[in-house]
Amino acid sequence: MVKYFADIYNSTTAILSGMYLTINHLFRAKKGIATLQYPEERWPRPERTIGFEHGSYNVIRSRLHVDIDDCIGCLKCERACPVDCIKIETEKSPNRGEDIKDINHIGITSNSTKKALVVTRFDIDMSECCYCNLCTYPCPEECIFMTGGPNESRHSIDYEFSEPERTDLIYHFSKPGTKDGLQEMLNNREAEA
Amino acid sequence: MTVDFIYNFLNDLLPGFLGNDLLLILAMLLPFFALFGFITIYGFGVIYAELKVSSFIQDKTGPMGQGYGFHAGKWGLLQPVADGLHLFFKEDIIPATADRPLFILAPFLIFIGMFVGIIAIPFGEAIIISDMNIGIFYILGIGSLAVIALILAGWSSNNKWALYGGMRSAAQIISYEIPAGLSLIVVILLASSLSMQEIISYQSGGIFNWIIFDNPFMPIAFIIFFISALAETNRTPFDLPESESELVAGFVTEYSGARYAFFFLSEYVNMFVISAVAATAFLGGWQSPFPNFLNTPAWSVFWMISKAFFLVFVMIWVRWTVPRLRVDQLMHLCWKVFIPIGLFNIFGVSIWTVLRG
Repeated sequence: MVKYFADIYNSTTAILSGMYLTINHLFRAKKGIATLQYPEERWPRPERTIGFEHGSYNVIRSRLHVDIDDCIGCLKCERACPVDCIKIETEKSPNRGEDIKDINHIGITSNSTKKALVVTRFDIDMSECCYCNLCTYPCPEECIFMTGGPNESRHSIDYEFSEPERTDLIYHFSKPGTKDGLQEMLNNREAEA
Repeated sequence: MTVDFIYNFLNDLLPGFLGNDLLLILAMLLPFFALFGFITIYGFGVIYAELKVSSFIQDKTGPMGQGYGFHAGKWGLLQPVADGLHLFFKEDIIPATADRPLFILAPFLIFIGMFVGIIAIPFGEAIIISDMNIGIFYILGIGSLAVIALILAGWSSNNKWALYGGMRSAAQIISYEIPAGLSLIVVILLASSLSMQEIISYQSGGIFNWIIFDNPFMPIAFIIFFISALAETNRTPFDLPESESELVAGFVTEYSGARYAFFFLSEYVNMFVISAVAATAFLGGWQSPFPNFLNTPAWSVFWMISKAFFLVFVMIWVRWTVPRLRVDQLMHLCWKVFIPIGLFNIFGVSIWTVLRG
């Protein structure tokens, strides 16, 4: 009989203390929220302190990026890729090393190499990329690189690239309309001549 | 605000404008639509409250809308609307082996059971759809209609989880009717009436005349009634009929779309009915807590609804605090704790009434 009432007393106090705890959480909801409204708010990225200088820390491979203005279309990265996720198509430039205003083509790279080719297609499928970094070494202009780390000054780190469609993970680095624009321009020139 | 009252009012307003029968039907439809509108607004409100309270208790934000694109509005206010639309536009699947007529009947039966319960709830001295002289008995009886609907849903789904859920709900609701009834008998002893309005008029004159403060047995009776009523709504901690970790979803396993929404909505309406009965029987109903102050009809609606909503809030609060009971614990609580204490309560209150004269 004593145990019966002791059980009732214990369970009542246990439930009441639990309810006190939850109502506390309810009323301090403004301060104590533990979650973020993700796409709009993000946690700040922590500073890296792993014993390396930030610039010489070459392990970050967050995603591939191409500075298309520096690309000369040599296809070395495409050949180096072990999973064939880079697709490049080029057209011969009408005049070597000359800017073409109509398609925003810049004739000379930042290493002052004269471009002989116009890159009409430069697609990287990041869903196939294996982050091996092998494509960045052969590039003569150093225009394909992994973002972040030593390349922080050129492109900030970017590791949140989820997309609603799988095909959206194919990044198109060539300027839109390059292929058609170049073809139209060549046709116009032929017509004029 | 009975049908007679509306009928007479319309008859005075439009003499000879409509046929008498037509006017009677109109007088019946008006409270129906008022009730339906109330249930819809209440449903949206309580679902939003449930989402927000549960999230705040767990240190989350709940539904929120920020920035651009498809979001649930400011503070997620449109989330219940989105949920409702989602449920009503979903494909309505009826299993091939289900007992089709019964499967279709069950959600309507449970909804009707909850819906007609509200008509006996007083919102004010004259604001009650049907002022029956057996109001409290009627609500208890109608509330048990849910058992039939749940068993029907469980059986007709032709699914072992659904059947288990239906059987469990039957055992649970029938068991917990007894302590709920026992603790209401105590109220009826004091008020010496089954009518909701007379129970409330017994408690007139301020907060200390409420039945819960009438004598030392009443808080116990209130707690027993509230917990038993909670068990009858099949909510956590008594959600054994639909315990998702054991039975997939219990009796609603095979339901989808609008039919599922009916089960969902009727659970929330049932919460309101039970809270309103608890408020009527123990917390003074539509009476103001201050004697002769703020006691006009408009305020009486406010007091009734705020008392009922406070109890609904407590139900939500309990749901997100206490874990689910085991089946044997559930039966132990009912038959070995609530019923003996409830019987003792009746004995004590009877002695008290005799001694006090």
